[in-house]
Amino acid sequence: MSAEALDAFRIRDEPYYLALADEVSLFGAAYAARLPVMLKGPTGCGKTRFVQHMAWRLNRPLITVACNEEMSASDLLGRYLLEDGATRWQDGPLTLAARSGAICYLDEVVEARQDTLVVIHPLTDDRRLLSLPARSEAIQAHPEFHLVVSHNPGYQSALKDLKPSTKQRFGALEFDYPARAQEIEILMHETALPEALAERLVSVAEAARRLKGHGLDEGISTRMLVHAGSLIRQGIGPEAACQMALVQPLTDDPDLISALSASVRACL
Amino acid sequence: MTEPRRDGNEHELPGGASRFVRALWGFDVTVCALPATANEFAARRPRFLASNLWLPASPLLGVPGGYPDYLFAACAHISAHLRFGAPRFLTKSLKPAQIAIISLLEDARVERLAAARYPGLHRLWAPYHRDARTDGAKTGLSLLARLARALHDDAYVDDDAWVSKGRQLFLEGRREWHDAALCRRLGSALGNDLGQMRVQFNAKDYAVQPAYRDDNTGLWQFDQDPGEDASPLESEGVRRVEREDPAPKRRERGEPEAARSRDASASRREPERPAPERPAPATTGVEAATRYPEWDYLIRSERPGFCTVLEHSVTPGDPARIAAALTRYAPEQKRLERSALRLADRRPTPIRRLLDGDRLELSAAIAAIVARASAAPPDPRVYRRVRFRLEPPALLLLLDLSQSLNAVPRGADTTLLEVARTASALLATSLRNAAPDLAIHGFSSNGRHDVGYRRFKDFDQPFDDRARARLAGMSANLSTRLGTALRHAGQTLAARNARRKLLLVVTDGEPSDIDVHDPQYLIFDAKQATIENRRQGVSSFCVGLDAGAEQSIERIFGAGNYALLTQLEALPRRLAQLYVRLSA
Repeated sequence: MSAEALDAFRIRDEPYYLALADEVSLFGAAYAARLPVMLKGPTGCGKTRFVQHMAWRLNRPLITVACNEEMSASDLLGRYLLEDGATRWQDGPLTLAARSGAICYLDEVVEARQDTLVVIHPLTDDRRLLSLPARSEAIQAHPEFHLVVSHNPGYQSALKDLKPSTKQRFGALEFDYPARAQEIEILMHETALPEALAERLVSVAEAARRLKGHGLDEGISTRMLVHAGSLIRQGIGPEAACQMALVQPLTDDPDLISALSASVRACL
Repeated sequence: MTEPRRDGNEHELPGGASRFVRALWGFDVTVCALPATANEFAARRPRFLASNLWLPASPLLGVPGGYPDYLFAACAHISAHLRFGAPRFLTKSLKPAQIAIISLLEDARVERLAAARYPGLHRLWAPYHRDARTDGAKTGLSLLARLARALHDDAYVDDDAWVSKGRQLFLEGRREWHDAALCRRLGSALGNDLGQMRVQFNAKDYAVQPAYRDDNTGLWQFDQDPGEDASPLESEGVRRVEREDPAPKRRERGEPEAARSRDASASRREPERPAPERPAPATTGVEAATRYPEWDYLIRSERPGFCTVLEHSVTPGDPARIAAALTRYAPEQKRLERSALRLADRRPTPIRRLLDGDRLELSAAIAAIVARASAAPPDPRVYRRVRFRLEPPALLLLLDLSQSLNAVPRGADTTLLEVARTASALLATSLRNAAPDLAIHGFSSNGRHDVGYRRFKDFDQPFDDRARARLAGMSANLSTRLGTALRHAGQTLAARNARRKLLLVVTDGEPSDIDVHDPQYLIFDAKQATIENRRQGVSSFCVGLDAGAEQSIERIFGAGNYALLTQLEALPRRLAQLYVRLSA
């Protein structure tokens, strides 16, 4: 893989991230110790943004893989392609990261099948080795290579969980929605909303989060608030924006929709 | 939120109200229905005692806007009392007018505090403040309505000296809004003024304005038992309630205890009444008894250990009967056996000749190169991919075996029971070689103490002659307490070690039982049971044999989780097809 191609994975400008606690220094220490990191937390609370920010901070290319059930080991490792009458090996994202010393980020890692994930095992202990059975090759990971995974323990049932043998290879950082003042600050930064309006949107999110476990699986996330803010910036009225970005995506239950809509009206 | 039906089914309140309160303040309230009175002109107002809310179950006369909006306005108001209110006021020597004015000031105080947190509440309440300036004579009632508006709306202009004074005092006391004592002090004074103005205040006609506000019962601690000697306001309020209290009427009708004791407020909740006298359930053949809670949608909580599942052994019938019934379905059986085996085959299967895939298919690649070398267009589909299959789910077929299954539907030549039996047999027979985790259970109930449950084929049991004999011995009687049966089946299924667990329910109509007269009650309980099952990893699907029950079935199982059969002979085929579809 040429240096230019890898350049595409480099993050040039600082991704905005407001540190909520000491996660930046913890991640830095884990990176220095080459301890793979697992980010836990509800969807849309800033896990992916945090990884982007850390990749920029550490000046490493970031290769992201969105995991899904259909993903196979070769989607991670690589495969042979046919080109000009000959075969050519194409590195998969994990192989590319291990060779070139990038940060590989497996987003929503529990969505991948467990037998797919075992390919990361030799990479994540002191061997730091990636084996490519199709090429009969074993790669010693680049010294700067780092593995980060994310998952959301909330809505996954007991059926979807990582194997203990996979889990125990990681250090974990737990994320949650930011505190009120921080969330307002994030919202104002991301959407340039005036403070008063940002405060009200955060109130809507707080109201919805109180319904978690009372009909809702997940509350309104920071990301959804940013969506609502962006709609408002496009000239949509706050109530319509909240309906579109916050209430309707969250649930299909008519009782909950009416309770959430009334909460939106109470907050705005 | 949908408008509740008004055809005598008045206890149903939309479920959004208590969630709205929880979303605003993070605490839980119990929302009950305040039924309509015989006299529609008697003013009704919401009411609360501690965290129990009673809200009108139908729109009030003369209240503007939609009914859901009104409910939310009322909930927002009462929850403001609960959030910002003080311990209840003592009536002491206060006159009815003073009590009314203190309550009115307290209403305004908690609303101001709530609106400071949620500014939109102000707009939620605004439409209900009508303009009482044009009411003609200055009566106590109109002046109080005007004062309520003046305290709510800073832009409102009122030339009445008393109203202006009230508003001025209230606004000047802004720094003391956190303290309910302010309202007591100002209210007593304003009440005296009203008396000196010789303005009549008729407590009997007084209904709190605007209409979304509660009747103030929850704000006051009355000195004595409100009885004959109580002050006019109290006795009027209390009598009104007693008239509206639906409990006695429903007790005559034999409503379940569920609906009864919710009428008692939290502060004076009746101890649960002992179970009514009933013939002891037939104990013959009872193998196990398990108690389950039941969900009461009116109090929005569970009644612990309310229902008992009695597991009965099954008296076997003639297994040949099953074999005979199945001959009709021989072709279907063949087809289903094949699909079941395909489902059971968990080996990864390669899919060849793909445009894009995991690996090169070597032979196809060579063919493509050869084709190119001979200047023919190469076939670009040179990849292969491996497909993994999920294991088929553990399946529990739960049959509703209530009396109505003995009916022969119009146009059919056999009973529903017979069709259900054949369908179960076809499913079990077709799947026997594929060896999935399959159980066939049935239930019928005779009141909450006797929910009969029978296992015709259990998990890990082969579908042999003994199982066929049990299936042949299947009979139908009594009623359908669906929720309890769902809980029991869900427990059984949840204990299975499988990645996916499917509860397939076959029922011919709405749940019902002899000790329940509110048709919504068992529907909501079954819905709750389905939700609980889903929480423990058991998904449910319902096959309805009565298109008329679609609404309740959809309510229980959710859109997309049911199928309705109009052609009964199709049930065996459809059931097996459903299994294949839901397992794939």
